[in-house]
Amino acid sequence: MATTGTPEAAKIPGEPTKTGTSLVETATGAIQGFAPINKIHQHLCGYHFYMHDMTRQVEAHHYCAHQNEEMRQCLIYDSQDADARLIGIEYIVSENLFMTLPDSEKPLWHSHEYEVKSGLLFMPGVPGPVQRQDLEKVAKTYGKTFHFWQIDKGDGLPLGVPQIMGAFTRDGQLYPEIAHGLEEKYGVSMEKEREKREYITGPEHGIHPLANGKGKGLKLELREVDCKQPVESVARVFV
Amino acid sequence: MASSDETPAPMPRSGGGSTEATPGRAMGIGQKMMDKSAQMLQSLKPVRQTQQHVCTFSLYSHDFTRQIETHYYVTRLNQDFLQCPVFDSDSPNARLIGVEYIVSERIFEALPPEEQMLWHSHAFEIKSGLWTNPRVPGMIQKVELENLVKSYGKFWCTWQVDRGDPLPLGAPCLMMSPRSENFGMMKPELIKIRDAKYGFSREEIKESRAGIVEPDKTNPQADYWIRAGGGFALDVEAVDMKVRAAFP
Repeated sequence: MATTGTPEAAKIPGEPTKTGTSLVETATGAIQGFAPINKIHQHLCGYHFYMHDMTRQVEAHHYCAHQNEEMRQCLIYDSQDADARLIGIEYIVSENLFMTLPDSEKPLWHSHEYEVKSGLLFMPGVPGPVQRQDLEKVAKTYGKTFHFWQIDKGDGLPLGVPQIMGAFTRDGQLYPEIAHGLEEKYGVSMEKEREKREYITGPEHGIHPLANGKGKGLKLELREVDCKQPVESVARVFV
Repeated sequence: MASSDETPAPMPRSGGGSTEATPGRAMGIGQKMMDKSAQMLQSLKPVRQTQQHVCTFSLYSHDFTRQIETHYYVTRLNQDFLQCPVFDSDSPNARLIGVEYIVSERIFEALPPEEQMLWHSHAFEIKSGLWTNPRVPGMIQKVELENLVKSYGKFWCTWQVDRGDPLPLGAPCLMMSPRSENFGMMKPELIKIRDAKYGFSREEIKESRAGIVEPDKTNPQADYWIRAGGGFALDVEAVDMKVRAAFP
């Protein structure tokens, strides 16, 4: 049975924001600059699955900023609304940068070629020809995604440990009802986009065999460790 | 591979320029124009909800000798819950190094013990003036700080920039907050650098917070390292993926 998209599900526990609190925050917001956040300029909608369980598939709204031409850093939310939950992070690198990663690191990164060519990944609100100019580049990139909040399980809070996420790599993996749901919700046609994106090519050197978990699942396991402590054993007086 | 690996496997540094810069070509005009036009068409609502910038410090729970200055861009979702992308600076080219979630005391008390172990308290950080809101007058800060002094945070760091990683490598690290006792004590030089950057006066900040009522004690399940003398690491394990079609 498909675990689809974003459940209406578990509300975040807590009282609605009190007036006093929000007034303070408005004042604060007006005074401070939010430069790193203001750099976020792009919204991409796509789907991820858990790298240990492809049957759990989650709608992922990426809000991306360019560090430079070859590297993007993205905040992942569960919707495009003002009350969206911040559920994860994705880093996106060019093929060139991916090749500089140690071999032990490469499996944590997934390819984007299928997501782009299939029409699954799209930029809401942006006309096709404009989207495709950027998606041509995205198709050649690799991404590394962690989710911290398993909303598909109905968690009302970000519980547990981070999850490595994967991206779709071929037909048959994404639940058809999810594809239909996306098309209805955002008024897009994946089929039509697929045709228009046929000319788009993936990484120059093909998808690297070490990417996408080397074809295996991946999971993060928590382990306790002894603290490494500061060298000085004399207690410092904190002034 | 583990988040606690001392040195990641080697990779080439970015050629020329500062070792701080993320490797990769500078943005071309084409990309910039594309970004601008897309930006005008998209509403980007979730990231327009930032209400405050916090500058504070965090420590790696598997290695308390590694301490970093952190910048939170805080969004409040309700009276008891906040979510914060975390960056390594407040400049436009800051690197996104993780996410911190913050909950009220009430919410924290209701979490199961095995979850509480992953969270840290904020009382010391706030009372001691390590937690700051650059450019915001003390009076305005105070209201919010009275809320937050009793809160708890959970911070996963996904890019170990202090280790010199040119790109985000490895598994996320669980981070902890500064405390007044042993492992949790901050290196004074880091605080000095930060305070000088923003023109903070340690004495003034602490005085301005004297009236803030801290909890009698923080929940002993938080700041796990105090009881356990140890922290946490995440290991990346290869497993059989549950699939519904061939992969990859």
